[in-house]
Amino acid sequence: MTNLTLRGVTKRFGATEAVSNVDLEILAGEMVVFVGPSGCGKSTLLRMIAGLEPVSEGRIEIGDRDVTQAEPVERGLAMVFQSYALYPHMTVAENMGFPLEMQGLSKEEIAGRVRATAQTLQLQDHLDRKPRALSGGQRQRVAIGRAIVRNPVAFLFDEPLSNLDAELRVQMRLEIARLHRDLKATMIYVTHDQVEAMTLADRIVVLRGGRIEQVGAPLELYDNPANAFVAGFIGSPRMNLIPATSWRDGDGLRIVVPGGEVRFRPAGTMPPDGAAVQLGLRPEQMAVAGGVPLPAICDTIERLGAVSYLYARLADGTAVTAQVDHALAAASIGAQVSFALDASRALLFDASGRRIA
Amino acid sequence: MKQSLPLRLLLAVTILFFLLLIGLPFWWVISGSFKLPQEIIAREPTLVPQSFTLQHYAKLLDASAYPTYLVNSLIVGLASSVLTVLLAVPAAYAFFRMELPFREGMYRAILLAYAFPGVIVLIPIYGLFAQLGLVDNLLALIIVNTTFALPFSIWMMRSFLATIPRDLEEAARMDGAPTPVILRRILVPLILPGVAAVGVFAFISSWTEYLFASVLILSDDKRTVPVGFAGIIGQYQIDWGLLLAGASLAILPVVIIFSLVGRAFVSGLTDGAVK
Repeated sequence: MTNLTLRGVTKRFGATEAVSNVDLEILAGEMVVFVGPSGCGKSTLLRMIAGLEPVSEGRIEIGDRDVTQAEPVERGLAMVFQSYALYPHMTVAENMGFPLEMQGLSKEEIAGRVRATAQTLQLQDHLDRKPRALSGGQRQRVAIGRAIVRNPVAFLFDEPLSNLDAELRVQMRLEIARLHRDLKATMIYVTHDQVEAMTLADRIVVLRGGRIEQVGAPLELYDNPANAFVAGFIGSPRMNLIPATSWRDGDGLRIVVPGGEVRFRPAGTMPPDGAAVQLGLRPEQMAVAGGVPLPAICDTIERLGAVSYLYARLADGTAVTAQVDHALAAASIGAQVSFALDASRALLFDASGRRIA
Repeated sequence: MKQSLPLRLLLAVTILFFLLLIGLPFWWVISGSFKLPQEIIAREPTLVPQSFTLQHYAKLLDASAYPTYLVNSLIVGLASSVLTVLLAVPAAYAFFRMELPFREGMYRAILLAYAFPGVIVLIPIYGLFAQLGLVDNLLALIIVNTTFALPFSIWMMRSFLATIPRDLEEAARMDGAPTPVILRRILVPLILPGVAAVGVFAFISSWTEYLFASVLILSDDKRTVPVGFAGIIGQYQIDWGLLLAGASLAILPVVIIFSLVGRAFVSGLTDGAVK
């Protein structure tokens, strides 16, 4: 088992920098998920690791081998594409056997390994079919099978579930998680769906504008985001970022939000008096017993059963989302509601989005 | 989809009209080739033959050099067709995928070459082949026909390649396939309709080529059908029966080739590749 290391990896397309100076160490057996909005460079980064996209600057190492200039096949990685990329004129067995054939294995060995892999993916009854005769989920399994069969150093997944419908997506997500557990293989997984990232990852890499914003375990990013972007991106519904002003108050801060105020005791440097800041509160921190009161006007209520989400406007029109109990969920639209903020778990960001407290 | 009766009738009549427009000359040629000479030149042309004879065919195949022309044309046509496909596939791939300096410029230059009529380069090509000792050699025709078929073939092949999702090529690269293997095992099977189309195009271009065949070939036993057949017509009199039989036979290889590769034109080969 080998680690995969990125050192200062940069990709330029003409004058634009799609990936800037990325340093990352991926440990053997780890499931790392690259997540970020579209155009953040996550797919480009994956393609550079795969060897499909030349690196403009920096180094990629697998174990202690520098593979920056190596051909894809020399890297020993397998990739599962968003579009599955199955060879349409070949049967399932031929598709899965193709990488082995390229390695020059004997027909018997290929057949044996393909059959064994098909077994683990429940594809054994479809080996003689062409991809067009398969359902979306089965095609995705064949694509995964084609990756598994070669026993790669690491698996690369490029938004593999985006083409599936919602129900199948959940099912395949669990299947990939199970596969990761069973194979104990290193996996790098690209997605724009933060739920997928949260559920699958050992560690999440949040990217924006070609740069790493933060790397960490799912709950670490959720509880302790490095900046407002990560705070807003991880978690569903999104964290509320309420515009506020900050004032010194003894050895703490008084954070004035539209319609109320919260007291804070930051660890680091204090913002100057009157500074514009953003108060970060998760929806589940908006309405807790004994919290700091904050009035709002109810816009919409989503009653999901176990939880309800109340979408509301603060005094200045800022839209916020709160996870509420049944009593608050009974509020009528347009009515005045009173939130109760859990200030002890609130986060504070400066105007540029940097975390203050 | 349900259509109203008048609309369906109109569509049927339109199809029938074009069918007759295209089919009637062929019918006249083929049916005429089996008529007795006096019926062919009868003042009132007959749509349905009143007589039947194989005398024109017998004369054509036994007493003229037509079989030799036919064989020559087949050799030149098949060789040009195969050579065109063999060159057009890698050339189209290079234009489509490889990072070459002046790629677009070269591509346009090739298409531009296609825009010039062959007669412009007739004399220089004759001079060139004379120096190479290829005049009066079927190889000269194969080279010329391939050269003239290539620009359009490359263009056509490139459009077919453009329909193949890039993911497929990248998946094959990840699987360890070198470029020639990707071409042979992944791309060519998927663009078979294009390969067939290019092959048929090159064959028919060669089959009907007259100008170069009339200039580059000197001896009678190396002539192709269009040139050799023109000689059969005769200077002082026209043997219509012979002419029609020759024309009918000339159509035959094209019909056979179409019926053989027609299956490859069936699209939908890339179904299920992606998504």
